Amino acid sequence: MRKSIANNVALNIKPIKKFRTIKIQIDFLRPLSKEETTTRRLLANVLSNSTKHYPTFKALNDREMELYGSEISVYTRNLLNFNDLAFSVEFADPKFLLHDPNQLAENLNLLGEIVLQPNLKNDSEFDDTAFDTEKRNLMSNLASVGDNQDLVSILGLTSLLYRDNPDRQIPIFGSIEQLKQLNNTDLYKHYQDVIKSDAVVVNVVGDVDEDEFTKVFMDSMFAQVLKNNRQNLSIEFENFDKLLESPASKEDHKHLNQSRLAMAYLTKKLDTSYSRLAPQAMNLILGGDDQSQLFLQVREKNSLAYSVSSSYQPISHLVTIQAGLDAKTIEQATDLISKQIDFIKNDKFTDDQIVHAQKVLDTRREISSDSIQHYIMRSIWETVYSKSLLTDDQFKVELDKMDRKQIVAVAQNMSEIAQYRLIGD
Amino acid sequence: MAEKLEKYSKKLKNGYEIEVVPLPGYNQVYGLAMTDFGSVNTRNGELPAGIAHFIEHKLFAKPGYDVSEKFAEYGANSNAYTSYTKTAYLFQTLENPYDNLKVLLDLIQNPHFTEENVASERGIIDQEIQMYLDMPEWVLEQRILGQLYPNDPISQDIAGSSESLQQINKDNLLETYRQNYRPSNMDLVIVGDVDFEKIENIVENSDFHGVTDILPPAKQIFEPIGAGGHETMEITQGRSAYGIRIDADVSMPELVKLQFELNMIMEILIGEASDNYEKMTNLNIIDDSFSYNVVAENNYCFIIVSGSTNYPEKFQEYLRKHLSFNELKDVLDEKRFERIKRDAIGSYLFAQNSPDAIANQMAELYFYDVDYLQLIKLIDSISYDDVLRVAEQFITDDNCTYYNILPK
Repeated sequence: MRKSIANNVALNIKPIKKFRTIKIQIDFLRPLSKEETTTRRLLANVLSNSTKHYPTFKALNDREMELYGSEISVYTRNLLNFNDLAFSVEFADPKFLLHDPNQLAENLNLLGEIVLQPNLKNDSEFDDTAFDTEKRNLMSNLASVGDNQDLVSILGLTSLLYRDNPDRQIPIFGSIEQLKQLNNTDLYKHYQDVIKSDAVVVNVVGDVDEDEFTKVFMDSMFAQVLKNNRQNLSIEFENFDKLLESPASKEDHKHLNQSRLAMAYLTKKLDTSYSRLAPQAMNLILGGDDQSQLFLQVREKNSLAYSVSSSYQPISHLVTIQAGLDAKTIEQATDLISKQIDFIKNDKFTDDQIVHAQKVLDTRREISSDSIQHYIMRSIWETVYSKSLLTDDQFKVELDKMDRKQIVAVAQNMSEIAQYRLIGD
Repeated sequence: MAEKLEKYSKKLKNGYEIEVVPLPGYNQVYGLAMTDFGSVNTRNGELPAGIAHFIEHKLFAKPGYDVSEKFAEYGANSNAYTSYTKTAYLFQTLENPYDNLKVLLDLIQNPHFTEENVASERGIIDQEIQMYLDMPEWVLEQRILGQLYPNDPISQDIAGSSESLQQINKDNLLETYRQNYRPSNMDLVIVGDVDFEKIENIVENSDFHGVTDILPPAKQIFEPIGAGGHETMEITQGRSAYGIRIDADVSMPELVKLQFELNMIMEILIGEASDNYEKMTNLNIIDDSFSYNVVAENNYCFIIVSGSTNYPEKFQEYLRKHLSFNELKDVLDEKRFERIKRDAIGSYLFAQNSPDAIANQMAELYFYDVDYLQLIKLIDSISYDDVLRVAEQFITDDNCTYYNILPK
């Protein structure tokens, strides 16, 4: 069931009986802005630290335990050109418990506490302990980013890709420089603006009755707050034309055991005569699983890497490749990677590889629906950008439509636009 | 309609235990073969470190083909992993579950180690080792285990080292495989919509090649716990670990119960809902990376408490002072105990959303003579007094140690 509560406030209920848990998620969305990225991440952390009626981290965790280990999660992520501040609670379906049949209302109430009943010091600031603790925690997390070499290499590549887009230059989890400047009053102001202005998508998935949940939700503290109309979300797509003309590259050196290579390729947007799944099939053949060219040639045949893979991002039309390598063999590996792309460009792959790619695409789609999060993500995309989704019938048509020529065309129209190397000395 | 889980199981004549769990509404079938053999099983260091992990990698190779290709042909994706005490092989598929089961049996039953394929795998595993050596959390775990169990195989990287890889060859791989891979040492779990009789038939008609006489288990004698230590690494944030070794002489099912009891003790003393967590946070000794892990596997039972910290000495001092029976006595009451139990029951239900969690937990528990479906009863059987008794017996000053990794 899909219901519009106000302009850009959607309530989606997906009753599914197969799960042992029920999940309620509320996403607050607004355009990405570099000035707000760190603020929103800190806000997520402060709001999940404590609430008005559970005024310490301990009290809030005690409450989650009482509700049979309910899992509260608050985080930010990139979704298209938006910053998505997502709040969720997942809890045990009461029919599997001997007691406490009121799980739904109690957990919705707990989520309401997190989103709408913050732990305040006064009418313009969050509680000092909550603010200071979470600011310190985030500072510590940001300082640790440099110790995660895979992340460092992804961030290195991302920074090259979005060198002309300042809003994307700050990682979604924020920056130390911005965090240092953030004060409690400004954070609370941002919170008030989020609650008032952000577009909102509410999702519930699990064994719930649509009418019953709607009634409980509309009787909850959310109803009053979410009845106001919100700003429209205007979708903007990335443009990598400048990088096509002048690809970006960067090499950093660190005292590491293993070097990391991260590359990005832009695929050309194909016309509608092509299957929408052709780029994904090309990616699967290139580096999408353990039957791919990169896995078989770079890892298995030449023993150059333990991890080497590629992935495709349909919205940005980017194929990215990542590998962990010995510094001495990085040139050899880069050359081998290029040869695998040429292998597809030159139509050297077998029919079996196409059949395998089709099968994997179908399998991954079906298996993903065995997870509760799949339904929530699908519903968010349906609300925000429904064009990105295929129905089961459309998926089948696109899968059948795909052929060798299309896969070759994707590879032939693919250009390297960025390369980041983290060399272990 | 989601119903309470059911299980069909049987010990077959050829020694295999099979367990099948239907999961109505799910699209996938998940198959798992687990053997009671992991990185610590080096016969007190007679075998090179990393040999179990090497077997896991190289069992996929067969004459003229790789098993992952066969899985792919039947529409499955496959994987494998090695832990300290177990090795597991798995597939996940929408179609052909019986063919994929046959491929899984081929995978675990027919080794094909050659000089060439062993040599080429060394380079791949060496890269895996290098990758982990760049991860401070992973290095810290190895080091604290080195303090808890000095000179024991558990303190070595599961994948071994660049040096130990050189000592692994086709002969010791085959001999080690034969010693440890046999039906009576394995558990097979299938989760999903399958016919039990067909599964039984396929497994009953399969057999291992070259099962050999089994050496008696190597006697394990642990050295005294180390005094602690530290090292530097090129990192921005320091990491600290505090370890507790539990030398408990208990039966396998009791070991599982002990693991739950120790988890409850840790949750009460330093979990996110504890006073200590709050105090350590306010004292700026820990950040939100702080966590603990209780491991109870075969002869090993230990607790590792770890996290990022800028004050490693205060971190250690605080834990040494507050992880105690006396503190537990002071903070534990019936209400808190009931909350902890509810949390454990919730975790059990959460895991049942996931076929892979069900299969892996079920197989793991099989080796401890515990039925996964009876886990709630086991949790429920733990009393307030049990928790106090375990804390009094095992959370003492003389079985703990530490390790710090500091920024250069």
